[in-house]
Amino acid sequence: MKNLFYKTGMLALFASVLLTGCSPEIDTPAPSAGEADFTSYIAVGNSLSAGYADGGLTRKGQLASLPAILAQQLDYAGGGEFKQPLFSEEQANGSGYLRLAGFTPQGLPITAPVTDKLAIRGGTATAPLYTKYTENVNNLSIPGIKTADINVQGYGSVQGNPYFERLTNNPSQTYLAYVGAQARAAKHTFFSLWMAENDVLGYATAGGFAGTLTPQKSFEDNFTALLDTLTAGNKKGILVTVPDVTAVPFFTTVGPSVKAALKAKGAPGFVAFTGAADNVNNLANRVLIPVGNIKDASGGKVLFTLTGAAYAPLLGTPTGKYWKDLAKDQARKQTGEDKPNPLVVNGILTVLLSRYAVDTTQSLGTSQNPWPSALLLDETELNSISSATTGFNNFIKSQAAAKDLALWDSNAFFNSIQGGFAVNNVGYSPAYISGNLFSLDGVHPTPRGYAVVANEMIKAINAKYNANIPQVDITKYDAVLFP
Amino acid sequence: MKSKLLALLGGTLLSGVAMAGGYQVNLASQRQIGMGHTGTGLVTGTSSIFFNPGAMSHVRENGVTIGASGIFSKIAYSAPESSGVTARTDNPAGTPFQVYAVYGITDKLKAGIGVYTPFGSTVKWGNQWNGRFGLEQLKLSAIYIQPTLSYAITDKIGIGAGLTYVKGKVNLQRSIPVQDQEGNYGKAELDGDGTSVGYNVGVYVKPSDKISLGLSYRSKVDVDVEEGDATFTVASSLKSRFPDTKFKASLPLPATLSLGVGIMPTEAWTIAIDVNRVEWSAYKSLRFDYADPVNGSTFTENARNYEDSYIYRIGAEYKVTDALALRAGAYYDNSPVQEGYLTPETPDSDARGISGGIGYKLSENFNLDASFLYINRKERTDAGDKSGGIAGTYKAVAYIPGISFTYNF
Repeated sequence: MKNLFYKTGMLALFASVLLTGCSPEIDTPAPSAGEADFTSYIAVGNSLSAGYADGGLTRKGQLASLPAILAQQLDYAGGGEFKQPLFSEEQANGSGYLRLAGFTPQGLPITAPVTDKLAIRGGTATAPLYTKYTENVNNLSIPGIKTADINVQGYGSVQGNPYFERLTNNPSQTYLAYVGAQARAAKHTFFSLWMAENDVLGYATAGGFAGTLTPQKSFEDNFTALLDTLTAGNKKGILVTVPDVTAVPFFTTVGPSVKAALKAKGAPGFVAFTGAADNVNNLANRVLIPVGNIKDASGGKVLFTLTGAAYAPLLGTPTGKYWKDLAKDQARKQTGEDKPNPLVVNGILTVLLSRYAVDTTQSLGTSQNPWPSALLLDETELNSISSATTGFNNFIKSQAAAKDLALWDSNAFFNSIQGGFAVNNVGYSPAYISGNLFSLDGVHPTPRGYAVVANEMIKAINAKYNANIPQVDITKYDAVLFP
Repeated sequence: MKSKLLALLGGTLLSGVAMAGGYQVNLASQRQIGMGHTGTGLVTGTSSIFFNPGAMSHVRENGVTIGASGIFSKIAYSAPESSGVTARTDNPAGTPFQVYAVYGITDKLKAGIGVYTPFGSTVKWGNQWNGRFGLEQLKLSAIYIQPTLSYAITDKIGIGAGLTYVKGKVNLQRSIPVQDQEGNYGKAELDGDGTSVGYNVGVYVKPSDKISLGLSYRSKVDVDVEEGDATFTVASSLKSRFPDTKFKASLPLPATLSLGVGIMPTEAWTIAIDVNRVEWSAYKSLRFDYADPVNGSTFTENARNYEDSYIYRIGAEYKVTDALALRAGAYYDNSPVQEGYLTPETPDSDARGISGGIGYKLSENFNLDASFLYINRKERTDAGDKSGGIAGTYKAVAYIPGISFTYNF
């Protein structure tokens, strides 16, 4: 009997070894760091490296931040711990964010702010301060930062950038000094630097109405200073160019439907304000934009911002909605109150309408009630964005070559995928919501989009340093979540 | 606007679905599996119903055979340009079976019935691998029931024909690339069955004691699923775009033309060589038509464009004693799947099979046959871009033990 058990046991063992031990294998090269050393990686950048998505910074976004995904893959090739200034579980929603709440009967997406579990410790409704996190970290990225900001004293103060204020324990420390101190603490061996978006984006998302483009000279000076700090001691790293910020869903979603609506009405075009805030105060700054000039798949250049989605259906009807909303927003900033006194709002509205000579009893899009400049990028604005982007990128590329660093040309990549692509039987494109790459704010990628970017950066690092960092499985990361 | 916004959602949903190349399962007789699945040019016993109805007339005794195999297969996957993204199937064991009965009405005329499973596939990648939007799991099975008549024109020539009644079933599951609030992907399940009719004919010639020849043709059968169930699980705000509905589809089970030679140099030795031509070119595309629009479309269609393929087989049997026979064989199976058309349903590539087997006479009337087949498919890297497949490198192996009992009377 014992013998029988032994025999059948051995037979079963033999069978299982045969059946499992002979599983098919596909030989793949082992991960390696090549000529680079990923022991201590630090990331310097803006919202795109901080994990910002859906109009906010959250713990979930941080955990799926571009540098976190990179660090996770670098770990296969000798990478070390990558510490981020994570919001706590209790305050996981950080700054708050937008969620997709549903669709209007017309099929337009409805977004709603998420306002629970925030990491707000004080400040005002419009300028909150976040729970401090002043330990040493590897991800030094600050949402909203421009290259132009790195030497600004007080940028880390309560009057400065709340995301930087959160990280520094010295309000007078500049960002450049912070990077230097953190780099020394981390004894970094590798870095990523993706910085210049806000030097054009701030201007672009405000429709050229507010904000400024960083002048080329100050960009170069600051970028060099940052790069010198990061490369001191011949450290290796990767630089990233600025993508075409006008090719994101924030600018490409509303225009085509406006164009179609105007065409359907047989309207020849509409009148819009153009230029910056300080020179719209005269009638000369009103231009007629022919329908054909609005960008859609068939051509045209003029872009509408996603923030214009609420007003686009009002073109051709008398309305002052945009100005009322603007007055309310300014009143909130002035008073620091979420629901300011209507008298204050009305006071601001009267000033605005008089300053810009707007007659809200006339139809929106006529010369008496032009389409607001902040909700549109006209050709002049587009040209200045384009030439600034080219200028910054040429400098970034020349620095990568001069310092012998890896370079990922995000500009070329995002241009190449305008028509969309498919991976794993899943379609991707720069389209709003359906394209899977961009989050609900229309500017920042989804976690999946960040994973796609991480894989492209990995290719660039592998090519430059003869490394073999494995690609990440992008299907493990979320795109837009539907209710 | 909504339809426009969502037009790309799950854009390639239900494309690239389905059965696969090499969903043919050549496991029709334990004796013949042991001999590299040759048999067209031989009198194989009751299984001549499958291999060559013409040879059935030359079967000496009435008999009933019941047998089954267990398919233990695994497929490994590695994503393009990566050593990091890999997957492996967790296929349940497949159990193709065969039942044959042959009865001599007269000396020359024999009647038989066979129930066998020449097509089928169960591939389970699961819902974690990166290709789950192409396929999570596919179960395909087809049962053939074949009443057959065979007539010995002379003791050197036999002809035979059978009618095949086919019952096919398909169940396909895949993820839909839209996520709910918790991040769960949607899921699609297509389930349907259909029946169809075909035929199997053959001629057997034995010019001398030492040589025999056979030619057989099993017709194409289209299994038409008329009222399949399409079930979708998605975030509630998208449910109206993915209604549960009915689908129609047609799955071709291709025709096979076989030519075989048997050589009997001595009493103890039998050597067989077969060539099968499988007319896979019948499988041009996979199309599902939905009763209600799914994600805005009433159908999905993906190219397959298979090519006709050839399988070359050789096998031998050696009778050690009257009671004991040892067998061995091998074959080479060309993939019908062209470059760019690989799909995860069965990531097909040229396959090499080697087999061994034994036959043992338990008593005057009882025979036991056992076989073991090892299939090794060549590693294949493909973009899968013409068929809605999942790009990457695939490698498959299978271990197939099997056993059967025959009662002769």
